[in-house]
Amino acid sequence: MRLLTHNMLASNVRGVTSGYPLKLEATNWCTKEVDLNADFIRGLLPKIDWRALVAATRALNLPELLPEEQPSEEEIFAEGAANVEGSAIRRIHHALLEIHVQQGALICPESGRSFPIEKGIPNMMLHEDEV
Amino acid sequence: MEAATMAWTAAVVGVGLVYWFVWVMGAAEVKGKRAVDLKMGSITNDKVQDKYTQYWSFFRRPKETATTAASAEKVPAFVDTFYNLVTDIYEWGWGQSFHFSPSLPGHSHRDATRVHEERVADLLGAKPGHRLLDVGCGVGGPMRAIAAHSGSDVVGITINEYQVNRARAHNRKAGLDARCEVVCGNFLSMPFPDASFDGAYSIEATCHAPRLQDVYGEVFRVLKPGGLYVSYEWVTTSLYRGEDSEHVECIHGIERGDALPGLRRQDEIASIAKEVGFEVVKEQDLALPPALPWWTRLKMGRIAYWRNSLVVRVLTLLRIAPKGVAEVHEMLYETAQHLTKGGETGIFTPMHMVLLRKPASAAEEAK
Repeated sequence: MRLLTHNMLASNVRGVTSGYPLKLEATNWCTKEVDLNADFIRGLLPKIDWRALVAATRALNLPELLPEEQPSEEEIFAEGAANVEGSAIRRIHHALLEIHVQQGALICPESGRSFPIEKGIPNMMLHEDEV
Repeated sequence: MEAATMAWTAAVVGVGLVYWFVWVMGAAEVKGKRAVDLKMGSITNDKVQDKYTQYWSFFRRPKETATTAASAEKVPAFVDTFYNLVTDIYEWGWGQSFHFSPSLPGHSHRDATRVHEERVADLLGAKPGHRLLDVGCGVGGPMRAIAAHSGSDVVGITINEYQVNRARAHNRKAGLDARCEVVCGNFLSMPFPDASFDGAYSIEATCHAPRLQDVYGEVFRVLKPGGLYVSYEWVTTSLYRGEDSEHVECIHGIERGDALPGLRRQDEIASIAKEVGFEVVKEQDLALPPALPWWTRLKMGRIAYWRNSLVVRVLTLLRIAPKGVAEVHEMLYETAQHLTKGGETGIFTPMHMVLLRKPASAAEEAK
């Protein structure tokens, strides 16, 4: 499960009103390199909940990866930034697309219900009595 | 020719034929699933027979499963079982798009399928930067075509974990895994916040919901105000007569063999959509003329079915395929007969298209 996916998931437990964002617990995760596409990031950024993304990186013990405040568009999409090691766009690209959580869980912030992540797939299926 | 040479020639030809039959002819598309790779989803080999028997008895009387609350709750689990049983067979014998399409003269089934899928993207006005939801995405055939055609991002949801794995593998192979994501979940209770998608579509998938209102309501919730939703619905048409026992048998056959808790009527769809708050922008049965028949592909597939049936039985004998596969394959063949009849008599259509809009003024409701 990539953090891009985590960013769009919410708890669907009946009766829960603030089921977003899900808390991330990862017992096994890895990184896989992917080509950076600035246009893709540009299209994606408006849809990303920054605080949820930062929280997810903190949960993976990467407190230095992203700043608390979302950097400005000028900074992210500055000319040539994609080629600069440690630039904002490269960090965002890495966080969203290159981290893969293989084993772990997503926890509903309100009910505590745990959705397992197995072999990279988060299973958001509720049991019959939870729907 | 000497007897020994003849025997050797016969043996070589025989082996060649078996190889051709099983390995070469056994794939739907050049890089598709192969007969020797058939798995029953996440069901282990020893459980296949049981799971199939359970499935068959549950869907014996489809309309009753929809009406009793206790049964309706079990439907998702049985739909999941169904797709464990059939996903590999579908990929092997049909392709990566688990739906029908109007046939296009002079074009392959793959092309006809792609055109039918791209139509969805066009109806939605899908563009790069849009995030679309595929409700009931299977192994992602439509998702990939729609993402490639429109440049949009697509998120698919399917109840079947095995399909999630297959879809992701296909997305990676197609180089689309940055723009196509798949989530394992129930479309009756989707794990997405309100108003998180620019558009949504479902291709022949909502028929698995015991109540159409429930899936439509969820789609409505996760769509942004002003967002469009396209659905290709499996429905009975105005030609269907409940008093005609042949019609009833045909529709029951379709429901039982496709994990459907009860087909809706064509004329109900619009009112159900409005019930949950949608505006109906457009409605059209895409199977009607001038469209060419969608069921000819099923009929043409008869020879392939016989061959596949033989292959499956041989593989079961050789203990390569788990016990129960042959029965599942038989069930699908019978279902194909019912579907063909439904198409020929015009009492059934798998492609009643509705284009729906969530009003731009729709207020965000607290959950």
